[in-house]
Amino acid sequence: MFIEIKGAKKQYGTGEAAVYALDGVDFSLEKGKICVILGPSGSGKSTLLNMIGGLDSLDSGEITVDGQNITGLSKKALTAYRKQNVGFIFQFYNLIPDLTVEENVQVVSEIAADPLDMDEILTALDIAKYRYRFPRELSGGQQQRVAIARAMVKNPKLLLCDELTGALDTRSSRSVLKFIEKINNRYGTTTLIITHNEAIADLADTVVRIRDGKIASVTENAKKRTADEIEL
Amino acid sequence: MKLNKRYVRSIKANLPFYIAASVLTMVTLLMFYLFYIAGTGINAYGDEFFSKYKLESATFSTYKEIPDEELSALESKYGVTLEKERFAGVDDGDVRVRVFAPNKKIDLYDIQDGRDLRSDGEVLISAGFAVENGVKPGDKIKIGGKEYTVAGTFLRPDYLYMVENESDDYKNVTSFFLAYMTENEFTSRFGGGSINNKVIYGAGTDETAFRKQVNEDYFMSGYLAAANNKRVTFVHEQADMFLMSSWFILVIFPLLTVALVCILLGRRIRAEQKLIGTLSALGYEKSKLMRHYSLFALIPGVIGGILTSVAALILSTPFGSLGLADYEPMKPEFHLPVWVAVAGVVIPALIYYFAAMLRVRRLLSEDTVKLLAGQVGNDAKSRRILSRKKAPIKRKFAVRQLIGSPGRSFVIFLGIFLGAMIVAFAFSFIDSVKAVGVQAHGEFGSFKYEYILNTLKDGRPEDGEAVFALPYEDKEARRFTLMGLDGDAVLWNRTLTSGESADTDNGFYITTLFEEIFGVHKGDPFTFRSIATLEEKTVRIDGVIKNGYQSYILTSREKAAEIAGVEGEHYNAVLSDKALGYKSEEVIEIISDKTYETQMDNMMTAMGGLIYAFMIIGMIVCIASLYATINTVIAENSHNISMLKVLGYENRRINSMILSSNHLLLIPGIALGIAAAYGVMAWYCAEFVEVESIIIPATLYPQSILCTALITTASYIISLLLLCRKVDRTDMIAALKDGRE
Repeated sequence: MFIEIKGAKKQYGTGEAAVYALDGVDFSLEKGKICVILGPSGSGKSTLLNMIGGLDSLDSGEITVDGQNITGLSKKALTAYRKQNVGFIFQFYNLIPDLTVEENVQVVSEIAADPLDMDEILTALDIAKYRYRFPRELSGGQQQRVAIARAMVKNPKLLLCDELTGALDTRSSRSVLKFIEKINNRYGTTTLIITHNEAIADLADTVVRIRDGKIASVTENAKKRTADEIEL
Repeated sequence: MKLNKRYVRSIKANLPFYIAASVLTMVTLLMFYLFYIAGTGINAYGDEFFSKYKLESATFSTYKEIPDEELSALESKYGVTLEKERFAGVDDGDVRVRVFAPNKKIDLYDIQDGRDLRSDGEVLISAGFAVENGVKPGDKIKIGGKEYTVAGTFLRPDYLYMVENESDDYKNVTSFFLAYMTENEFTSRFGGGSINNKVIYGAGTDETAFRKQVNEDYFMSGYLAAANNKRVTFVHEQADMFLMSSWFILVIFPLLTVALVCILLGRRIRAEQKLIGTLSALGYEKSKLMRHYSLFALIPGVIGGILTSVAALILSTPFGSLGLADYEPMKPEFHLPVWVAVAGVVIPALIYYFAAMLRVRRLLSEDTVKLLAGQVGNDAKSRRILSRKKAPIKRKFAVRQLIGSPGRSFVIFLGIFLGAMIVAFAFSFIDSVKAVGVQAHGEFGSFKYEYILNTLKDGRPEDGEAVFALPYEDKEARRFTLMGLDGDAVLWNRTLTSGESADTDNGFYITTLFEEIFGVHKGDPFTFRSIATLEEKTVRIDGVIKNGYQSYILTSREKAAEIAGVEGEHYNAVLSDKALGYKSEEVIEIISDKTYETQMDNMMTAMGGLIYAFMIIGMIVCIASLYATINTVIAENSHNISMLKVLGYENRRINSMILSSNHLLLIPGIALGIAAAYGVMAWYCAEFVEVESIIIPATLYPQSILCTALITTASYIISLLLLCRKVDRTDMIAALKDGRE
């Protein structure tokens, strides 16, 4: 398995205010698959994503990604893990406002061990013509495509998408999802999408439902659909 | 209002900023407080001591002794207090003693340690010498070969600054002291001794008429007003120097610091624009929000002010004492006036309060939607720089941070500038005083020795060049020397400010210092009078000699003698480029080309503590201002920092990327800080002429510039190191959640 999570627990707060964001999560995913994690707000899906992405650490349990146990790694080792393995896409893009489109992508390619061709990525995502623009000069959909380009340019093993269409209209959402699909097909990048939008689940190979910090169900999508086919 | 619950939480979250801003406020205000307290303390002590121990108005000597019964007649006629003081000089080889019989009316002594005289075998000695040489009451001391028991130590008002001779510029407490013996012992040892007449003028005394009558009846041979006596005037001059420094410090440093803190507070408030917009959208009134944020701004002002008052209470006495290291061991009480303490708390706090209030008001005048989106103040016009150029991201990012956020760059620049300025000012003070020592003799002339003789001699000396010099005063009783030189004399400086040489045979020339003090210029007539006879004389000034250290009029020996009413060729000083064989009893003083330099070195040794304290304060200001500023920069960049961390950037690389742009501000910040310090020093020196009667050349040697640059850079690096953990502790997840662009 590419991702293996065993008994993952994470608690925020103490005493009566304690909340279990993850309460014994067990889950695994094969390499190259698209996995959609569904759940309502506060169910723990973002926490799970942060743990897999090495942004936060578990209280107990274990996470292994591509054979590397990332549980208990030092901050420095987690930084190296993120740098080498993980691409992030966020709901609000989180682009660096002082950098142009090209520079936002370059900021990752400069530190990546084996980056993809930046022009190829920008062209593939149809944003090459905006390369000298700043994030604020782009629409939400265009900004999200820049975020995808930035995530992909390092050619990550794992692409983590946190509500990537949450701030977009239907047309932009479909466009963005098509690019995710395209990337998965072209580069075979294992992709984890967390969302509360049920419709996106149709895009996935595996659908994980999470509630109150626990896995409610894991289903293999027998009738996987393309981004053009799903109803957003 | 519920909003007030934010106070504790917000203060906790921004604690380093509040600490740095409070420290900044405290340190710069403290500099003002310490100098101000020292100045007022010394002045108060001087006034009280002079009044209590009956400081003379003047000392004078006459060729004919004034009979005791005539003293009373003069007292009645002119409304003055008069007393004859009996004294004798004793040369014990390495140590010289001026022995007095105790006065009863004027210049009374105050016992510092031990007790008063009880028997003929006892003496009182001056306290400065006793402290310097470890002499205590009960110890034995030899004066003129006879052993006495030291009964106690004393201060007297006309010797609070212990110079041996009137012409000396620097104290001597190592080889010279004063002593009192009983009347009986004094008479048995020295007979009548020498006599100085002491006078205290009454409120309605006609001083000129008094002096004229004394001269007519008893022939005045010397007259020294207390206002011209450095043993007396140095006390208030030192206090005035402290006070003048305090106002300079107040005008420059706290104002700049307060401006810096105001800017930082403004940026902190702008960073809260989303919350301000939200509260405004929820219906919070403008006035409530303004009050809410203004109260945060009070914190550094109030805490800084209180800390300043506490620190001033603790440090004022040791600090003031450092400034009095050169003086007889006076014990002024250094008090912090209540109004100064209150003003120190209230003024900066109110400035911060209103600065914050105005900032919130300005924010609330913006579109609420823009506030909610956090877009106020994000003018991106200048961020396009290098957007189409091929360059490393780090460099592009740095340049845009620098130019794209001019406000942010300015506060960092201001922090570096302020630190460099204070440090450079301290160095400049040291260098300027040193420069006096190094340059002064060059402006005096090329002689190696100047022998001040104690008698008037005829003709020309066998070796060296003759000088005829006598003191005179203007109508305001300000003293100067009229010097006469032979036309062929070359050892005294005659170079005029125009570059030409003074033609002393045919004119009268003043120095640049004389020009400053007396306000007389080339071409002006100048009227002065004999100190003894008060006979007036007017001369026309033909030029100005470049000399900022001495105040004299230079002319020919013949003219100088004529003005003094002396016929023939005479001299009372000799200049020489080699040591001459004058016996010690023939000379009052020998000035060498190193004398002034040594005196300045001694002065720096005494003032060193003050200056180095100033330098340390400069470093603290530098570190605190940069810490507060860079802390704000990191807070403003928290979103970028989080994103770079998420993308896999190491902390070291992030630090370098976010903060490297600031390195570019180091050079201009330091350069302009040094230039400003030099400017302030030049201003300070110009004002110093009034206080100390010396033109100090504002100086900053290359090595001091280098040290300033190194100290400022080190402070900058220290503040960066202190903030390294801040990047490490930036919460990636929280910052990203807040990172909606």
